[in-house]
Amino acid sequence: MFLAPDGHEIEIAEAAAAFLAEAMPITRLHRSAADASTALRLTLGEMGWFALALSEEKSGSGLSPVEHALFFREVGRQCGPIEVLAQSLAVLLDMDDTCRAGLLAGTAGVAIAVSDGQRLLGPRDVTYALDVTPSGARLLSLDGSELAERPSLDPATPMRLVSGLPTNAVATASGEYIWRMGQLGVAAMLIGLAEAALEQIVAYAKVRETFGRKIGSYQAVRHPCADMALRVEAARSQLWYAATALKEGRGDAAVHLDAAKHLANQAAVANADTNIQLHGGIGVTEEHTAHLYLKHALVLAKLFGAKRPLLASLLHAQAEV
Amino acid sequence: MNLQYSDADREFRESARNWLVDAVPKQPRPAHGAEAAAFDRAWQRKMYEHGWAGVAWPKEYGGLGLTGLQQVIWYEELARARAPHYINTTYIALMHAGPTLIARGTDEQKAFHLPKILSGQALWCQGFSEPNAGSDLAALKTRGDVGNDEIVVNGAKMWTTDARYADYQELLIRTDPTSERHRGLTWLIGDMKSPGIDIKPIRTMLMDEHVNTVFYDQVRIPLSNVVGEVNKGWSTALSTLSFERGLGFIGDQLELYERVGRAIDLAGKVRLEDGRFAIEDDGIAQKLASLKADSLAIRAMTLAHITESDRTGDPGPKGSLMKLLVTGTHKALSETVGEFLGWSFMEFNGDRAEHPWTYDYLWSWVFSISGGTSEIQREITADRLLELPRAR
Repeated sequence: MFLAPDGHEIEIAEAAAAFLAEAMPITRLHRSAADASTALRLTLGEMGWFALALSEEKSGSGLSPVEHALFFREVGRQCGPIEVLAQSLAVLLDMDDTCRAGLLAGTAGVAIAVSDGQRLLGPRDVTYALDVTPSGARLLSLDGSELAERPSLDPATPMRLVSGLPTNAVATASGEYIWRMGQLGVAAMLIGLAEAALEQIVAYAKVRETFGRKIGSYQAVRHPCADMALRVEAARSQLWYAATALKEGRGDAAVHLDAAKHLANQAAVANADTNIQLHGGIGVTEEHTAHLYLKHALVLAKLFGAKRPLLASLLHAQAEV
Repeated sequence: MNLQYSDADREFRESARNWLVDAVPKQPRPAHGAEAAAFDRAWQRKMYEHGWAGVAWPKEYGGLGLTGLQQVIWYEELARARAPHYINTTYIALMHAGPTLIARGTDEQKAFHLPKILSGQALWCQGFSEPNAGSDLAALKTRGDVGNDEIVVNGAKMWTTDARYADYQELLIRTDPTSERHRGLTWLIGDMKSPGIDIKPIRTMLMDEHVNTVFYDQVRIPLSNVVGEVNKGWSTALSTLSFERGLGFIGDQLELYERVGRAIDLAGKVRLEDGRFAIEDDGIAQKLASLKADSLAIRAMTLAHITESDRTGDPGPKGSLMKLLVTGTHKALSETVGEFLGWSFMEFNGDRAEHPWTYDYLWSWVFSISGGTSEIQREITADRLLELPRAR
């Protein structure tokens, strides 16, 4: 029994953190993020990050849901785009080797479909849409579909309305595994984001002065920061438990994942909110990154389990304790 | 990361479960008073006689020397067997005084007191807080005049749980009259039968008298009862408090998941004013489901915290977050049940067995104030975990 990153897990998390801080720093979102998406995808593919949780016989790294969670936590810290997760999930579907090779390399891109396939989240240059439900997943070609750009609240998540999605899938998967890996990935991104928001306000509270004192010495700032730390600690502990339960194939993994996603939704939105508020005026400016955390948290909180369906399934679910 | 128990852990769980199934007292614990204290002593004695006392204590002092994870297993099995709640009149002796004596006591103090604590022969109470020193413990004023072979104590201690049934007290007093704050304090073993001690119960909002004010008038305590050094009691006191913030509430942490389950069952049976079952109300159902997620997180956080400190040997600064989450979830659960229970929630005679949800609701303030208020826990978190600039 051990519920924190350990041994090679720490090395993977550190490697991911260093790579992502360089490849997709959150400050990229002040520029036009969509233009950089192809280059970013090719770089991620080249480094093998899309193959992390794919089995070795399918040319993947053969790592577990735990490493998957550790990687996407780091993606979340940079407000990384959801299409990185879509790409990592797509390679897990049943498909021919040529198709998978294109996805692994990043030469073909994947957006994620929401609202029963009526809306796409992801950049313009993608080839496929991934549609995931708790009972299965389908990869659909966007060839011949009509796409209409929509303005997006979240700079990290370009949005388009789609019509005429094909009914024939390029690749499929049955069962809930893809959904659960998606849930784990998004929960991890939300927790990385909640951690980043906490670190940002704590760093600011140590230098910013009002009334001749550092604001971090005022209880009106200290106590909300402590509450942010509490939300992170609770959600992160539950995430580690859920990731490990999924890795070990435990019967109650789904309950723990639902709980982790719910706690991650709460932690990310509340921490992003408090981070803006405690920054004061500078926190509402475009040039600051505080609003980027909030906007991305709102999008991620709706994916792979929003509040209402999560709580409905948690109410009567049983964990083995 | 892994969720696997070792063979030794599994064997420990099985032997604890096998013993508890027949050993747990069949009659319920009396709610209050000397009867409750006698019940607690008898149960402690039984655990002692069968080798199950002192789960957190090192083997050389008669304990079981369990790892943190094995202590989790022990509390899980206590809950499964519906054993008497571990927070009872033996709590201060086993969870505060014993560990403090083990860390800082003399050989004579250990030899005299530790076996009495383990066997339930001696009950202890705390003597830290005062009328004007609670959260700000270092403001304490109870005075000890140091003589050649004894210390004469005058003053008052407050919020002392179960003082009337205790045999001994962990007493933190000011022995250097010129000192301020953390300096000049001494940690003493007080004998509650000493002449000059007067105990006045404080009636609480729970309509019970579990806490007391203890007055000291020329109470003579031998110098051999000093734990640590004279005028250096603060460091002894810190070892007492760090223990409480590490593992002190572990049983409550693990029980919350089950209590949320009981509340959900109850909501499926209780009807609201409009005739629907409480569980059919979206607001109530969502709150209960969210509390289930919180209770799972508390369990995960407990396991993460304990397995980490088993490895490093250091409980670290996260105990404060644990107490905040447990006490907050406890209160939210009682409030939610109160919301759908209707008028029966308004019935109360002070008996936890008869009115468990109302009792627990009232208890939630005791829980979030005693052992360091929620505000103090946030301060500790800001200081030690986030390392924010200090104001105090």
